[in-house]
Amino acid sequence: MSKRVLIVDDALFMRTMLRDIFVEAGWQIVAEAENGEQAITEYHTHLPDLVSMDIVMPGLGGIDALKKILNNDPDARIVVCSALGQKNLILEAINAGAKDFIVKPFQSAQVLEVVERLIAK
Amino acid sequence: MAASKFKEMFLTEAAEHLQKMVDILVQLDSDPEDREGIDALFREAHSIKGMAATMEHHQMAKLAHHLEDRLDDCRQLGRISGVEIDRLLDAADVLELLLDDIRNEQPERSVESFIATLPKTIEAEVDTGEGEKSVDLAVNGCGQLIELRLRETVAAPEARFLVLLKRLADFGTILESTPSADDLMQGGCSNQLLVRLDSDMAQDEIHRELLKYTELQEVSFPDNAEKEKAKRPEKGTKDKTVRVSTELLDHFINLTGELITNRNQLQNILKERNWKELEDGIGQLARLVKNLHHQVLQVRMVSLEGLAGRLSRTVHDLSRRHGKEIIFQVDGADIELDRAIVEELTAPLVHMVRNAVDHGIEQSGTISVKAWRERAQVLVQVADDGRGMDAEKIRQQALEKGLLNAVQAKTIRDYDLFQLICQPGFSTATGMGETSGRGVGMDVVKTAVEQVGGILLIDSIPGEGTKITLKLPLSLAIIRVLIVECDGTRMAMPITRVVQSVEIAPDEVQSSGKQLMVHYQDEMLPMLSLRKILKLPQGAPLDPIPLVITELMGRKVGLVVDRLVGQREVFVQRLPAPFDQIRGCSGGTILGDGEIVFLLDLQSLFERRREK
Repeated sequence: MSKRVLIVDDALFMRTMLRDIFVEAGWQIVAEAENGEQAITEYHTHLPDLVSMDIVMPGLGGIDALKKILNNDPDARIVVCSALGQKNLILEAINAGAKDFIVKPFQSAQVLEVVERLIAK
Repeated sequence: MAASKFKEMFLTEAAEHLQKMVDILVQLDSDPEDREGIDALFREAHSIKGMAATMEHHQMAKLAHHLEDRLDDCRQLGRISGVEIDRLLDAADVLELLLDDIRNEQPERSVESFIATLPKTIEAEVDTGEGEKSVDLAVNGCGQLIELRLRETVAAPEARFLVLLKRLADFGTILESTPSADDLMQGGCSNQLLVRLDSDMAQDEIHRELLKYTELQEVSFPDNAEKEKAKRPEKGTKDKTVRVSTELLDHFINLTGELITNRNQLQNILKERNWKELEDGIGQLARLVKNLHHQVLQVRMVSLEGLAGRLSRTVHDLSRRHGKEIIFQVDGADIELDRAIVEELTAPLVHMVRNAVDHGIEQSGTISVKAWRERAQVLVQVADDGRGMDAEKIRQQALEKGLLNAVQAKTIRDYDLFQLICQPGFSTATGMGETSGRGVGMDVVKTAVEQVGGILLIDSIPGEGTKITLKLPLSLAIIRVLIVECDGTRMAMPITRVVQSVEIAPDEVQSSGKQLMVHYQDEMLPMLSLRKILKLPQGAPLDPIPLVITELMGRKVGLVVDRLVGQREVFVQRLPAPFDQIRGCSGGTILGDGEIVFLLDLQSLFERRREK
């Protein structure tokens, strides 16, 4: 059975890119969200195997969203995506419970390495 | 009677300690991470053990000792589980029963079966409802070191390391890491991470998991060789363990981390041929090595407390046997010395104390053992307020034994005279103990003291008592030496054996018959030539004459050398067999310039001469 992912990013461009990478690797996209609130709702609706979460988003940001998701499901596997130079935000996200991170701009191989490694656990 | 007085005291005090133990245990139940509480508990068990052993209540001592070990493990863990508290409360009940046995003059019940019911190691047992750490911490294993190195191109290395730390935490418990998670959160780190992980997982399994992270350039397990060694202890090395505080281990891991950083820095300098940075790098390395040296010495240090207990026991037993009333005082038992020195000196000190009881104290008196530090030396003094030594009788004996001629017997100072009791021929004299006020075996004591590079001094006043002082180096392996040169060869003497090094003018040399003498402070000292002793060719006349004032066969002498080179702190290595049989040479060291220098042991050279 293919693995299920929830993609969270405010930029359509990024969502599309991620979608292509995941689909090509045989993943199923359960939903896409463009802010934290949507992400929380979608997560609880679909309970995906993995969430790719952008950190900086209008409204509820990625870190707050992942905290809320983990509150309800401590086993949630969330990978944060962030631009280079947002080191402190990444650290904060990991400290808050993100399992790994991807730095933009990313390449397909990088993204897949991180997520496959996480799913294999 | 003294014994019954002790018994009452013991029963009262042991009961108090036991009560305190129970009180603390109950408190800990509500606050299992109260370090001070655990420490206090440990001290109570320790006190009970010491008292019981002194009174020869072996079962009680055994159980208390076992509790002490368990509590020490809890100290390392920093917490005590509810299950363990229950076990310890059970143990306190057994101790109570043992006290009853002793009180009723019955033989103590055996504790063997009770101890057998307790699990051997203390795990970090998680009480229900806490569910925070579900991993068992095996206390005896101190974890394995894992060194991770990131590729230089990896983005956000701190975050990467943080992820890796979390991943490693899935495999076991992270005991330490350099940098720590907090350091990583603060940002700023180099590209390596050193982790001490306590895990049940096999090393290659961990290795395989880590290899999934292509961000890592290198994964290594630095202390593997050490661990393998530890698994297969060689014969006879079993007892050679030292208990090390976790704080010291922390220092070690920090230093290791810094050394790795330093290595990378130096490698980088080499790669980029950036020689301007080299001086900084080497300076850093020097600082780290010095620090490491200091810490390693600390690991080898043990206090004299165990020894003091042993001595107090000896005094107690002997005074009971001889019906003497002796007050035994110990001062400075917290002074620390190299473990090897303490081990070497245990028997000699017991011997000295025994002498003081047997021959020093007549009916009642005080024996005190005092230890204190003077710069890089530790002084241990055994003093009694007994009858003291009779200089006249020693003089007569020495004359009879031919150790002194008539002239020497007249002029010898009391201080030097007392040293004669350490002569092998002297101390075995029959009835020596009775006549001189000092017993047999002082030659053995003196040899042991000199073997660890120390000096033995004897002071005695008739009717007031005897004081025997040992001047000891802090550590065996690393000592300060005086380097001298003779016929183009450099040699080292332990600084503890050197009274002073001076240079004198040739006209200060006087002669007394064939013997050249020199005036030093208010004594006339014989001058000996190191060249002559070592059978080296005679050298050119010296001006000024370099002289090392040292003690030989209990007498101060002036040793003439070609040149005084200076003092160094050196790491002394024992010579491998058969070279360890060479008289006059007690080891070797390598100086900074690569030259091998041997450690002179003049005492044994002179013994050889006399034997011939």
